[in-house]
Amino acid sequence: MRRQEKNAGANVGVLGKREKYIGRRYGLPGRKYGVIYRSVLMENLQYAANIALGFFGYFVFIFIFIKLWDYIYQTPGELIAGYSKEQMIWYVMMTEMMWFGSNAGSVGRQVKTDIRGGNIAYLMNKPYHYTLYILTKYTGEWSVRLPMYALLAVMIGTMMVGPVPGFKIVAVPVMAACIILGLTINAVFKICISLLSFWIEDASPFQWLYDKLLLVVGTIFPVEIFPQALQPFFKLTPIYTVCYGPAKLIVDFRPDKCVEILAAQVLYLAAGCGLMFFVYRKGVKKLYVNGG
Amino acid sequence: MQAISVKELEKTFRVRRKEKGMRGSVQAILRPQTEEVKAVRGVSFGVDEGEMLAFIGPNGAGKSTTIKMLTGILYPDGGRVEVLGIDPAKRRRQLAYQIGTVFGQKEQLWTHLTPYDNFRFFGAIYDIPEKETERRIGELTERFELGGFINTPVRNLSLGQRIRCEIVASLLHKPKVLFLDEPTIGLDPVVKESVRSLIKQMNREFNTTIFLTSHDVGDIEKLCKRIIIVNAGQIVLDDSMEHLKYHYLHKKIVEVKMQEETTFPQVEGITILKHKGTYARLEVDTAAIEIGDALRRINAQAVEDINISNVPLENIIMEIYKAEGKDAAS
Repeated sequence: MRRQEKNAGANVGVLGKREKYIGRRYGLPGRKYGVIYRSVLMENLQYAANIALGFFGYFVFIFIFIKLWDYIYQTPGELIAGYSKEQMIWYVMMTEMMWFGSNAGSVGRQVKTDIRGGNIAYLMNKPYHYTLYILTKYTGEWSVRLPMYALLAVMIGTMMVGPVPGFKIVAVPVMAACIILGLTINAVFKICISLLSFWIEDASPFQWLYDKLLLVVGTIFPVEIFPQALQPFFKLTPIYTVCYGPAKLIVDFRPDKCVEILAAQVLYLAAGCGLMFFVYRKGVKKLYVNGG
Repeated sequence: MQAISVKELEKTFRVRRKEKGMRGSVQAILRPQTEEVKAVRGVSFGVDEGEMLAFIGPNGAGKSTTIKMLTGILYPDGGRVEVLGIDPAKRRRQLAYQIGTVFGQKEQLWTHLTPYDNFRFFGAIYDIPEKETERRIGELTERFELGGFINTPVRNLSLGQRIRCEIVASLLHKPKVLFLDEPTIGLDPVVKESVRSLIKQMNREFNTTIFLTSHDVGDIEKLCKRIIIVNAGQIVLDDSMEHLKYHYLHKKIVEVKMQEETTFPQVEGITILKHKGTYARLEVDTAAIEIGDALRRINAQAVEDINISNVPLENIIMEIYKAEGKDAAS
């Protein structure tokens, strides 16, 4: 509070009393990020029809997997790695829904382009934190895409596979929170990788590796499919909190598992944010903006 | 009171070097080579509150790097910077509340939103209460005549309209210092003039300090009372516009149309720039020969029409770039 008053005082001068409030926070501390979110939402709502064009890709992907698992599961009631056929297909549908629904450019392409093209210079000198600005932008982007894909996933799943076995409607808010946390953790790690552009020419190969790891381990197949020896390692990676955890809760909700996943997500988010701020603070000193 | 104070500012970049051809590309992977480029070398100056300063120089002179250090985007390697008593590198976000930036070649507005939505956005970003934001939008809309397109998405605006909106967006929080980097680039003369008069008005009414970089001599001449010229990372001239003109305007351009074709005598201080038929354009160095003498030498009685003008400011600046650039580089 004392700092805010000091800031406010510093603004009184040339422009007179009216400027007193500049530098003070009005309303909630995160108000400006709320406004960034609202603006992105307004911008992206104009592209709802474009987003819907991606439904075809999602449908083809899911259709292939339904046929694949139909072929693999030869006897009714068979379990593979603890999953029934319906659970396995719903798992893929949920992870793919998160993948397609959050496939926005802000955290990967934009950060990289901002740093390499020098556009970051014009975003940094605003009174917000650049990484939180990107994170908020990304949240605004998936806020439009994800519900659309969720609706599509539920429709395809209900028609082609049937309801999720043992689905608990009361657990929906927890599942939603888990999905949101998963997407946010994913974004934080993707931003961290993109911020490497401060040091290296191109962070895309690292981004590609991360994406593919997430896609193969955790998105297309649940962690339990892989050899027992590798599973503890996977549980230590972001895969566990980003895609495996939320999808696992949807197809096989258990309160103890829920607490475990949520706790891991909170820890991962805190560590990820700490890393993101650290990398940004170090990287920004390395910024080299040339020409104009 | 000084709004900007810069002392012995330095910035060095490490730039990758690569030999030409395929061999060079392979060598660059195996043995990467870098070289140091001193973009800013010991620059010192001060800008008073309410002053309008032109900070100019040829491409690669170090002016953008200096601006970026003044706004906290780049960290200096040496020296000291204070903008409104704040060190930009240490307290960039606090400084952001008090400065505005307009980069003519970069967009800060969200192109899919209308100017109105953009202004509301910037109001919130700068922590301005909603009522106050509305009041300022109204005031600036009227002053910058944005009424006709305030609800049109930015992507559908003309360049002139967009630049006016960019300026409004950077004025919404009433900055004490406004950094303008080529604000009139690409604009037609009418819009240029209107943007200039708005900047002037803002400086007059709010005592806003203006830090301008531009390659457009019109911007410099019509807006600024003081000029700093940088070249090769160093200040080569820091003078008032009045002084600059007085010192460098010892040359006059004399355009004459003679009654009949004639030859001009070779006289010290008179340089024939163009001579075609009865028309001639001469440069008279008044330090070497008085203008009256020069006119007598070209036989004023045979002149059908005459026009005497100062050397354009553009040429003066170009000469300074060339002359001082050599000194600075050496």
